Amino acid sequence: MAENNGNKKKKWGMAVDLDRCVGCWTCAVACKQENNVPMGLWWNRVLTRGEDGLDMPEGEYPHLEMGYMPLACQHCEDAPCLKVCPTRATYKREDGIVLIDYDKCIGCRYCMAACPYGVRVFNWGKPKRIPDFDYGRVEPRPKGVVEKCTFCVHRVDEGLDPACVVSCPAQARIFGDLNDPESVVSVAVRDRGGERLLEDKGTKPQVFYLRRRRRRAL
Amino acid sequence: MTGQAAYRGWMAFLIALMGLGFAVWLHQLSNGLTVTGMNNVVSWGLYIIAFMYFVGLSAGGLIVVAGAQLAGTEQFRPLSRLAVVLSGAAIVVAALFVLPDLGHPERVYRIVISGQFYSPLVWDVIVIVAFLAIAGVDLWLLTRPRVRESAVTVMAIVSLPVAILLASVDAWIFGLLVARPFWNSPLLAPMFISSALVSGMGLLLVVTVVLRKLNVLKVEQGVVESVGKLMVWFIAIDLFLLFAEVLTAIASNVPDHRDQTMLLLSGKLAPFFWPEVILGGLVPFVILALPQTRRKNGLLGLAGALAVGGILLKRLNIMMASMSLPLIELAPGQSFGRYVEPGERFWLRLGDYTPTWVEWSIAAGIVAFGALLVTLGVRYLVTRPLPAPAIEPAASGAATMPAR
Repeated sequence: MAENNGNKKKKWGMAVDLDRCVGCWTCAVACKQENNVPMGLWWNRVLTRGEDGLDMPEGEYPHLEMGYMPLACQHCEDAPCLKVCPTRATYKREDGIVLIDYDKCIGCRYCMAACPYGVRVFNWGKPKRIPDFDYGRVEPRPKGVVEKCTFCVHRVDEGLDPACVVSCPAQARIFGDLNDPESVVSVAVRDRGGERLLEDKGTKPQVFYLRRRRRRAL
Repeated sequence: MTGQAAYRGWMAFLIALMGLGFAVWLHQLSNGLTVTGMNNVVSWGLYIIAFMYFVGLSAGGLIVVAGAQLAGTEQFRPLSRLAVVLSGAAIVVAALFVLPDLGHPERVYRIVISGQFYSPLVWDVIVIVAFLAIAGVDLWLLTRPRVRESAVTVMAIVSLPVAILLASVDAWIFGLLVARPFWNSPLLAPMFISSALVSGMGLLLVVTVVLRKLNVLKVEQGVVESVGKLMVWFIAIDLFLLFAEVLTAIASNVPDHRDQTMLLLSGKLAPFFWPEVILGGLVPFVILALPQTRRKNGLLGLAGALAVGGILLKRLNIMMASMSLPLIELAPGQSFGRYVEPGERFWLRLGDYTPTWVEWSIAAGIVAFGALLVTLGVRYLVTRPLPAPAIEPAASGAATMPAR
């Protein structure tokens, strides 16, 4: 739940519990539907931790285990994409959400080169939707601009959790205010020792991953 | 065929290429960048490789002219107009290459009205505009009936740091990104400067040899040879910096940096990397270093062409080494970025990119425009009789111009 933290400045963040994720891609599909993401583009994907391919196990037989890593924009505190944008099209809201102003984007894709996580996608051609109408509640983006996860900013502003959070059948995602030490997400990150992706790059993501506690042997 | 007919044919050829490039750009504008080979993993392709290359080509020429002027070396003076024309044309070509890469080229004015100064791209716009202005003033000065030595020296003092900055900012666009281990090296800017010098001088060499062959430009053999002689040093420095970079990446064994470097040494980029080093570096080095080969005009031109081609491969390798290997490469990877029919390739774990005919056509058009500028520049500015030296002995020392 997007808790109410009084008047204090919020910093929205997410924790993804890798112990709970079953790799079903429901969050990825819910994200596409909610955000009107066209064919060929994904704002949110569920990566397989195994080296060999989608839904392949990690390790050597018989010591195999399954693991997944959902990946979308990390909403970095020190976002590399934001620093390279020549037109201020990419910006960070007061509450920590990194957004793109599609009217200002010149489509140079410098942000895509700058993002260590590879979560930004470009409208290479005219966006194509099947069926051929807009779905979800978000305005379509024109061709020639970059887009990415917005933490479902339209839902967050209504006090709702992002679509990936509410759709997860395993309840693997927790969304909330990182500035509130007692929010569910802050407690989870603290208690479970939440880790950030590519921590050594110094980007300080506001998305944390809760490590697996037990082996999920096959 | 008379000279005039050949000239007309050449111009018609260039204009035809420009027309083709422009028409294909319109096609790309109406369909979007989906008609290129770029995708969500390799998000920059031929256009930005060419941009990176022509910026270097441009900076290199002016660094040599300005450096020679400040060092008091008179030997390159007969080539200074040609070098400035080449530099000016190259920077125009570089700037043009940005436009087809943009998803919304009609919005570029936003860089001016709401530019974000942290972005190296904004630094680049500033330095390119400054450089273009300097090349223009330089050319104007060098084609006056009486060249004022003191003014040329002042221009050299201004243009040398700007040209060096131009090559450096070109490098920093790539080198300041934490997401790109292969680019993220302090050596990148020095290497871009040395590569700029090699390609800039290589181009000067090729064009000079060709123009002499066509009897358009009269330059003494010694002058051309001395360009080649100086180039030897820059090729050596460029190869050394590359060696230092590769050795550091491999010996220190930092995973991402090492893996991207190994793509060049033994991976899928090896067919481009080794020709870059051997054909584009070692061979011209040997040709230009040995006095016997350096005296032969054909070999001089060949060495210049090989160096120019080698640096082009180097730009391609720099781009692709980084774009081919994303930091997070877990399956299924990133989507290709287009709607595809079921069964066609949708996901990309590693970068994969081949330029399409659209990219080649637009690139050919832009390069043809550069060649047109050079041709006009040579015809109307370079081959005009050189002015008599200005009588300013105190400022310039023994400034003697070769008589024409």
